[in-house]
Amino acid sequence: MQNAATILAPAIEGFLPGEWDVDLILKTDNLWKVYRSGKLEVSALRGVNFEVLPGEFVAVMGPSGCGKSSLLYVIGGLAQATRGHVLVDGNDMMALSDAARTKLRRHKVGFVFQRFNLLPTLDAYGNIAIAQHIHGNGFDPHRFEVVTSMLKLTDRLHHKPSELSGGEQQRVAIARAIINEPKILLADEPTGNLDTKNSEIVLGMLRQLNRDLGQTIVMITHNPEAAAYAGRVVHMRDGVIVDGVPED
Amino acid sequence: MIGEMILRNVFHRPVRTAISVIAVGVEVMLVILVVGLTSGLLHETAKRVEGVGADLMLQPPSASVFMAFSGAPMPIKIREKLEEMKYVRAVAPVLLQFNASGGLDIVYGIEQETFKAVSGGFVFHEGGELSAPNDILVDDWYAKAKQVKVGQTLRMLDNDFHVAGIVEHGKGARLFVPIQTLQELSGARDKASVFFIKLTRPEHTAAVADELRKVFPRYEIRPLKDFLSLMTSSNLPGLETFINSMIALAVSIGFLVIFLSMYTIIIERTREIGVLKSLGASKGFIVRALLSETAVICGIGIVLGIGMTFGMRAVLTRVFPTLTILVTVDWVLRATLIAVVGGLVGASYPAWLASRKDPIEALSYE
Repeated sequence: MQNAATILAPAIEGFLPGEWDVDLILKTDNLWKVYRSGKLEVSALRGVNFEVLPGEFVAVMGPSGCGKSSLLYVIGGLAQATRGHVLVDGNDMMALSDAARTKLRRHKVGFVFQRFNLLPTLDAYGNIAIAQHIHGNGFDPHRFEVVTSMLKLTDRLHHKPSELSGGEQQRVAIARAIINEPKILLADEPTGNLDTKNSEIVLGMLRQLNRDLGQTIVMITHNPEAAAYAGRVVHMRDGVIVDGVPED
Repeated sequence: MIGEMILRNVFHRPVRTAISVIAVGVEVMLVILVVGLTSGLLHETAKRVEGVGADLMLQPPSASVFMAFSGAPMPIKIREKLEEMKYVRAVAPVLLQFNASGGLDIVYGIEQETFKAVSGGFVFHEGGELSAPNDILVDDWYAKAKQVKVGQTLRMLDNDFHVAGIVEHGKGARLFVPIQTLQELSGARDKASVFFIKLTRPEHTAAVADELRKVFPRYEIRPLKDFLSLMTSSNLPGLETFINSMIALAVSIGFLVIFLSMYTIIIERTREIGVLKSLGASKGFIVRALLSETAVICGIGIVLGIGMTFGMRAVLTRVFPTLTILVTVDWVLRATLIAVVGGLVGASYPAWLASRKDPIEALSYE
């Protein structure tokens, strides 16, 4: 991989401009996340350096408790890092307020969770459309059609989550995550609750999203077969990335 | 879509929503009914006093507009002075006494002739005039409510009265006895609580009132046409406090139920709140969504409460025919406002808690 040129990123409304490797969509620099419970301190991330280029599909593998999920939450702005820097599309998460991180998440990040996390009172259509409404640009029927067709959800849109299979629920969750064209899709064990067949379908669709739409994906998994769908695999252990870092 | 989510959430737990709606409904009904009962009572009393047909009334110094609350009555000989005044056509002394047996009623002790001269006389549904010391007249509402018939004996004020007639309602009180009898029974010989004064022409009311104030400087002189406006809860000691207490009680019911309901909702929906946050929903979005849900519950509760009010009014006035419950648009709107504000305040703290939930903890909530 070639070195990314360091330039001053253009100011994006509501976010801080900063020095930024323009080719990277994601960069962490000496990232630490320490959880405190009383006098007990647990370091989930211990100086993670991690880079992702636009259009990459990266799998992050590692045993339970190695800090994979913490990395994902910090990258996605759901948690604040203790030290270091996280740059998402030119915006330093550490420099942003909670409200600004929320705004950045709304506009640039999509999440897919192991447990689908669909809103149970809404049908598939509503679960996808609500993300567009929260995004603030209103309902975009064309984008909706493209995404739901690609994820083969057209016939299942008026079913509630309780009426959908696990695979269908996860496809709805993926549709919800990408409906606003996020810069980066963060998937936390997306096949952890699925059987082999549905896992293959979901992973195939993630790969299709990456290849056909150029969607950048960072996927947490401990399943090597799932990781094989990614273009690059990095391994974490004890809060640090131990291999898979692209060479300079 | 947000509206759909709110509505679906409202009806997701129908029992809980129903309880919240009923609580708001009860709150609204209590507010409207308590105020309606008190204002209805005052309004009806005022209309009856106005129905006497006098132009002015004279009461003892510092007497309340609620005549039966007034203390020491006046010497009845004052009547002679009143009758001598210019423009005065008739003067009817009336002694008032509370009767607490079988309910709370005001008994008018009247001189039949002078009362007739001022009021134009009774319209009899049954029976006839007071002709013996222990005779009593009851109005038609009282007769219906207590199932009183002409000729029967009514026990009140430690005395057996003979029902001589049933008269049309609206002439001051529901019960009328000879003034001498009431004076004897209440130990107020030659006394009157109020003098109703009929003038030759109503236009002389102001002039006669001014003259009365000169002759009876400390006495209460009230034109009857102003009486209705004086019969307000603020003029009756304690009533305003009672009404406010009842409203506070009603609001507390609504507030607490909404608070508990919304608190339960945010615990139940912890994971969903986490999901909304992961989608980039702001704190304001989450607060607005929960408050909107509360507003929908309040809206349904208010409609139910107004319906319950009219239903309860129909039941109460059927069971207690003498009861007047005044439901006014003004108080329906106030009850609506009280319910909405109470509900939103009740939901505010849970909504604020929800907006501050840590998204990671929320997403891992079981």
